[in-house]
Amino acid sequence: MTAIPLPHRFTSSVKKYAMPYVFIAVPVISLIVFLIIPMVVSLWWSFNDYSGLNSPKFVGLNNYVELLTKDKIFTKGLVNTTMFVLLGMSIGPTLGLLTALMLNQKVRFRSLFRTAYYLPVMTSLVVVSTIWLMLYNRNGLINSVLQTFGLAKVGWLSNPHVALISIVIASVWQGFGFETVVFLAALQSIPRELYEAAMIDGAGGGAQFRYITLPALRPVIVFVYIIGIIGSYQVFDQIYVMSSGGPVYSTTTIVYYLFSKFMDLRLGYASAIAYILFAILVVFSYLQLRFSRERA
Amino acid sequence: MNTKKMLFCLVIILGLLLSSCGGSTPQPAVSQAPVTTQAVAEPVTITVWDYYGEATPIKPLIEPFQAAHPNIKINYEAYDWDTTQQKLNVVLSGGGAPDVVTVDMTWIPKYAAQGAFADMKPLSGGMLNGVPWEQAYTAGALKAITYNDQIISALYDFDTYALYYRNDLFEQKGIKVPTTWDELMTAAKALHEGEQYYYEFDADTFHGSQWIYENGGTLLSPDNSTVVFNSPEAVEAITFNDSLLKEGVGLNWTTDEGERIQGVKDGRIAMFSDGPYYMGIMKSAAPEMAGQWRVALHPYSKQPGSYLGGTGLAIPVASTKQEAAWEFIQYAMELENQIGVYTLAGAAPALKAALSSPEVNVEDPYFGGQKAFSIFLQTMETAIPFPYVSSWADIDAAFTNAMQQIALGDKTVQEALDEAAATSQEALNK
Repeated sequence: MTAIPLPHRFTSSVKKYAMPYVFIAVPVISLIVFLIIPMVVSLWWSFNDYSGLNSPKFVGLNNYVELLTKDKIFTKGLVNTTMFVLLGMSIGPTLGLLTALMLNQKVRFRSLFRTAYYLPVMTSLVVVSTIWLMLYNRNGLINSVLQTFGLAKVGWLSNPHVALISIVIASVWQGFGFETVVFLAALQSIPRELYEAAMIDGAGGGAQFRYITLPALRPVIVFVYIIGIIGSYQVFDQIYVMSSGGPVYSTTTIVYYLFSKFMDLRLGYASAIAYILFAILVVFSYLQLRFSRERA
Repeated sequence: MNTKKMLFCLVIILGLLLSSCGGSTPQPAVSQAPVTTQAVAEPVTITVWDYYGEATPIKPLIEPFQAAHPNIKINYEAYDWDTTQQKLNVVLSGGGAPDVVTVDMTWIPKYAAQGAFADMKPLSGGMLNGVPWEQAYTAGALKAITYNDQIISALYDFDTYALYYRNDLFEQKGIKVPTTWDELMTAAKALHEGEQYYYEFDADTFHGSQWIYENGGTLLSPDNSTVVFNSPEAVEAITFNDSLLKEGVGLNWTTDEGERIQGVKDGRIAMFSDGPYYMGIMKSAAPEMAGQWRVALHPYSKQPGSYLGGTGLAIPVASTKQEAAWEFIQYAMELENQIGVYTLAGAAPALKAALSSPEVNVEDPYFGGQKAFSIFLQTMETAIPFPYVSSWADIDAAFTNAMQQIALGDKTVQEALDEAAATSQEALNK
């Protein structure tokens, strides 16, 4: 076989695949311009003192050192955000799985229920937060119900021990429908024969769940947790609308603190916060991918 | 055929990219060097950003201004308060800044420290509509718009706090309108009944600073080098504020109480301290309460005091049309137009002449025929703006946090203020 000269092979290959490359170019260039370049610039800013209005002043690792060792509010933010993630990711997927299991039965109007559970997910988080803000009002619906049962009113958003939990509740209400839909789709793809075979072998519901359902759901569970943790760590909208990070910083989260630093014209500091968050999420993603691959 | 398709697609891509990029090229770094502005004799268009919203006193100025100044056209853009602040952060650094922008005086520390606004002294030649700046404004107001000896904004409307009180309840119960703190405590106790008729306060720097000023204290030392809001006078002041809460006659208005106007309407609140703009809110949201409320100088222990804020009109340094921008600002500060700040927006005009004019200083039927603005003019004489230091945001946050801790009962007044003072001093020293 005669060797085709490389240049010719290349140009003919380009001619053949030109159109697809052109189409791929659009999102790739968009990715570079709107994601990669800003990320690189932001990384540069994180090593500077930069207000946005005057030239950046190089300060090396100072921003990171201050954030990780001296900034008590940032530490509180880290703790709050982690608590938020832990609470949210314990309750959310569990609720999602439970509702999915229920919907997986021969339920009438299943798609109606599915839509109902998914509707909050499609609703703007700002709208959901505003509604819950009204519900959590001192004289709002929830406290009124408590009072009719003879219980004391709760300072849902004014009590620093309760405020974060209140926000978790609103967030889980809004988000667990996503897990419901994802789990339901996965459950419906499990072959019925497996369950039938198990029943013949005398396995009860619990054993069926443990040995058939859960293993089959494993990749979906990993997916839900990765997406959920990454998303939850970036919680912002609810804090902005409902509590402004208070009272006494009990609901200040990483991204909310980042935003407040941006508003204070401390772009370098805010960028450093962004990169610390990025590092946390990279670690989580890596750990979970490893975990999902181990027993594959 | 292939080449044609490729070219077509390349054109589309280029178009998408160009449209997604910003419209203007980034401005060079901000500097105070004189910018070459176009002589106003040539036609010029200036961009004005207004955050007043629906009841704006600025928009109605556009047509008459353009008629009086045929060479200046105005490109008017309205954004709300939050959006203006966020956009301003972006455009001041990235380009596309307006020529005139409404700024909240509480934003001044961070922008002034970065040299973001143009000095109006040279632009104005030291005069505001033929009157020296020092005569147009009260001393406190002039201080609020001055930074490093530059005038960086024209105060357009002002915000200072006075006491709002339920006069009908005072008369009904035969209570004296308080002028001192002791009298305030007496009045609060006499008014309060069950879950009603509290003295409402907010645990923030606006209100906390008022108590401190009234007791002869300040937030920072005169040279802005030391944090002094934990001085004995200041601690005494905040302790009194806290005592209202502890005696069960004060109400700390937290987020989950909802809008304060609701508390005004349903009787939970019988006294509170706030600015002139709140009169407009009460009139539109609580018209049924007309005649029940009055305003008075807020009771003090040593001297009257209040924070001084409001809205200013500023010219970003990056603007290339500063002279035309100044023409517009001067127009907005003319007496009749300042009166419009009240008649159109219900806000308090900052120009002294406007405040004492008969159109503004009217007998207000809502407040029982009281000339409410004369009270606010009185408060403006002794009101103090927040210190203009670059770390103000951190100091504000630390002080507010202390106020919240005190209101929650988590810490004693001394502890909370000491801790906040230490954090603030660190920020101040940087």
